[in-house]
Amino acid sequence: MTLLRTVRQAAIVCRKELKDSSRDRRALWSIVFSVVIGPVLIGFMMNRIADRQREAEDVRIPMVGMERAPALVEWLRQQTGVAVEEGPADAERAVRDRSEAVVVVVPDDFAERFSASRPAPLRVVADSSRNDARASVERVRRLLQAYAAEIGSLRLIVRGVSPAAVRPLSIEEVEVSTSQQRAAQILTFIPMFIMVAGFVGGMQIATDSTAGERERGSLEPLLVNPAPRVAFVAGKWLAASLAAVMSVCLTTVLCAQLTRFLPLEDMGVRLRIGPEHFGYILLAVVPMCLFTAALQTTVATLSRSFKEAQSYMGVLILGPMVPGILSALYPLGNAPWMNAVPMLGPYVLLTGVLGGRPPDASALLTSAGVSLLVAAVLIRVTTGLFRSEHIVLGR
Amino acid sequence: MIRIDEARKRFGSVTAVDGVSFVAENGAITGLLGPNGAGKTTTLRMLYAVLAPDSGRILVDDVDAVEAPQAAQARLGVLPDGFGLYPRLTAREHLEYFGELHGIGGEHLSTRIEELLDLLDMRAIADRRTAGFSHGERTKVALARALVHDPQNVLLDEPTNGLDVMSTRAVRSIVRRLKHQGRCVLFSSHVMQEVSALCDSIVVMASGRVVALGSPDELRKQTGHASLEDAFVALADLDRGVRE
Repeated sequence: MTLLRTVRQAAIVCRKELKDSSRDRRALWSIVFSVVIGPVLIGFMMNRIADRQREAEDVRIPMVGMERAPALVEWLRQQTGVAVEEGPADAERAVRDRSEAVVVVVPDDFAERFSASRPAPLRVVADSSRNDARASVERVRRLLQAYAAEIGSLRLIVRGVSPAAVRPLSIEEVEVSTSQQRAAQILTFIPMFIMVAGFVGGMQIATDSTAGERERGSLEPLLVNPAPRVAFVAGKWLAASLAAVMSVCLTTVLCAQLTRFLPLEDMGVRLRIGPEHFGYILLAVVPMCLFTAALQTTVATLSRSFKEAQSYMGVLILGPMVPGILSALYPLGNAPWMNAVPMLGPYVLLTGVLGGRPPDASALLTSAGVSLLVAAVLIRVTTGLFRSEHIVLGR
Repeated sequence: MIRIDEARKRFGSVTAVDGVSFVAENGAITGLLGPNGAGKTTTLRMLYAVLAPDSGRILVDDVDAVEAPQAAQARLGVLPDGFGLYPRLTAREHLEYFGELHGIGGEHLSTRIEELLDLLDMRAIADRRTAGFSHGERTKVALARALVHDPQNVLLDEPTNGLDVMSTRAVRSIVRRLKHQGRCVLFSSHVMQEVSALCDSIVVMASGRVVALGSPDELRKQTGHASLEDAFVALADLDRGVRE
């Protein structure tokens, strides 16, 4: 009976906090910003990568001594995305001072040796220390090899030999990682942005309804209402949690839309966040939202002012970012103990879900259980703080 | 009815309330009078169970406010020092929020809110957010909020502080009305005229103690001063003399 009444009162507090904060324009913008910034950044980065790759496919080949190999030049020009032009006089210097990524030099004796069916020399001048040129150099090398293979086959056919005779091996590469897994590697930031959205989503309500409420002087009249302290704390926590979950949903939907419009296929990456992923994503992140909202409520209640609470939030937000940053530096792997660490567990689960591997029940349960347990402890602590005269009257 | 018996409260080395006892009867207005820092607000906070006394007993309609704070709070309407309104909520939403927390809802709550809007003449501001409200308008919202659950006992902490003449008169008329309905009204003030104009019974506090108790006439007689203000100054001085 009293429990039912407490629950009803918590729901009343929760509803009021949601209504109140939905009218706080500054808070709404900060949430919108945090929800949108992740997908926008990822979209921007992925587009850059795609551009780079397209640049590598569209290759410009400066050639010294073009007139000595007209057939080669003609063949190259027939390939898609290839432009052949007159190369600089000093090829090595041009590459060294970075005015060219790669230069092909046709030596004097090329034509003579080529017509005599002896190996005709070609010089590819490149700087292997340049990362940005690597793709272009690789493309040029592959083109030249393809030309060589084609000419070689023709010569064999002319001599009545099957080209297959000089291909004793047929090498087929099998990629073990699924393309979705590779996608998740590239898109490791999506889990981080989802988690950050969850954190930021609850932040405003958690601080405004505790530190802010006290600063406005409305905490004392509120506490004169005949409700147990836990009803007030739970209501505020619940409101912050709901806002956090809404932010998570928004970011996830945005990311899902993003993966549909990005040129992911061009990058050899197949990633689609579909409706079948949403359930798992929520299972992984909702317990974390309940935990971060509880943490924010506790810390904001302890703060002496709204400003102080906000500066603490600035530090706490590193929490959901750390796993993402760490895994960008070196692969985190997937050890069972990770599920039991509050921010790390959801991160590992999210990475798995987006990588196309549905999480097993025990991992989900461990991660959710730990988050919920810590949240419950924090709510107890905050309820204790709400009973303290120092905290309530702000002494 | 409110009864406070030998209540004490210390904050660190400071004794804010030092053995306060008095009774506020039903159908009467009791004034808690004293200079700033006399312990009025701390006394009221113990009465409405936001502060727990270090020792002593507090009864609200025979409910022990220390042992059953929520049951006591359910019988109290409180206008605390500083109104603490939510700038983004409308006047009506303030009443709804507190009414619901008191367990009132639906038809009953909306009828009650309409009543209060009429009583306090606040129809014009009912559906405006309180952010830009004048001091008088804030007082009305806070007062209506305190009365939304129709409490038998009403505690008002300096309700007319900083109000203009019109608003002060409005508050006074509400307080009288509550008295005629047979309720117990206890309000604190450091303004003499206020107390003498309204109260049936006065509790004079200084330095955390009750220095005098009685009707305005009794107090005048007790101190031998014709005006209540002189009586008040004499009582506050008396206390200082005792302490030094």
